[in-house]
Amino acid sequence: MITTLLNALVVGLIVISLVSIIRAYGGPSVLDRVVAINIITTNVVMIILIFAYLENSYYYIDVAFVFVLGAFIGTLCILKLLREGHII
Amino acid sequence: MIIEYIAAFFFIGGFFFLAVGVIGLLRLPDVYTRMHAMGKCDTLGAGMVLFGLMLLIFDVTNITKLILILVMIATINPIITHLIAKTAYNRGTPMAEGSFLINDYVASQRRRRRRKLQEVAIEEGDETGQ
Repeated sequence: MITTLLNALVVGLIVISLVSIIRAYGGPSVLDRVVAINIITTNVVMIILIFAYLENSYYYIDVAFVFVLGAFIGTLCILKLLREGHII
Repeated sequence: MIIEYIAAFFFIGGFFFLAVGVIGLLRLPDVYTRMHAMGKCDTLGAGMVLFGLMLLIFDVTNITKLILILVMIATINPIITHLIAKTAYNRGTPMAEGSFLINDYVASQRRRRRRKLQEVAIEEGDETGQ
């Protein structure tokens, strides 16, 4: 039962990410795109964790952790570039 | 067996909140309101899905890693939301129609700077005039 539910959850998360690409493609400003990419990042982290349970290989949890940190640094760099005009 | 049903409840609740966040991202009229939907619904949905996974896995090492990811998401998401709001406000991103600001800090600072520049210019003009 729980395996079927988790597979359906993965499909639903993929559909949600594809729907939020609409806002990332045609958003009026840059910050709309940043917000949409942030939502997609959270969905991808959830998909990685669910696959770590479904495949019984728990090393994927470390992959999800590194993914969260990388997405945070990327968003921070984009926002600093928008605010100050340079990154470093 | 009962723990699988509790985990299923948490999974369905988390997916509901993630879907509500995406619907708010598509339908709300403004950067600020979209950011509000992203911050709240994303944190709550990720937290509920992670709690369901903690109930299912039930191993000390992996539960510690999942708690670490949960703390990371719950710390990072408010920081990102705050920075996006500050950037949008400083860049002068237009709001939706019908919304207004009570205390416009950036505009008042700009006005104050312009008044100070005018006073300096008047004083210098007087000195050169004498």
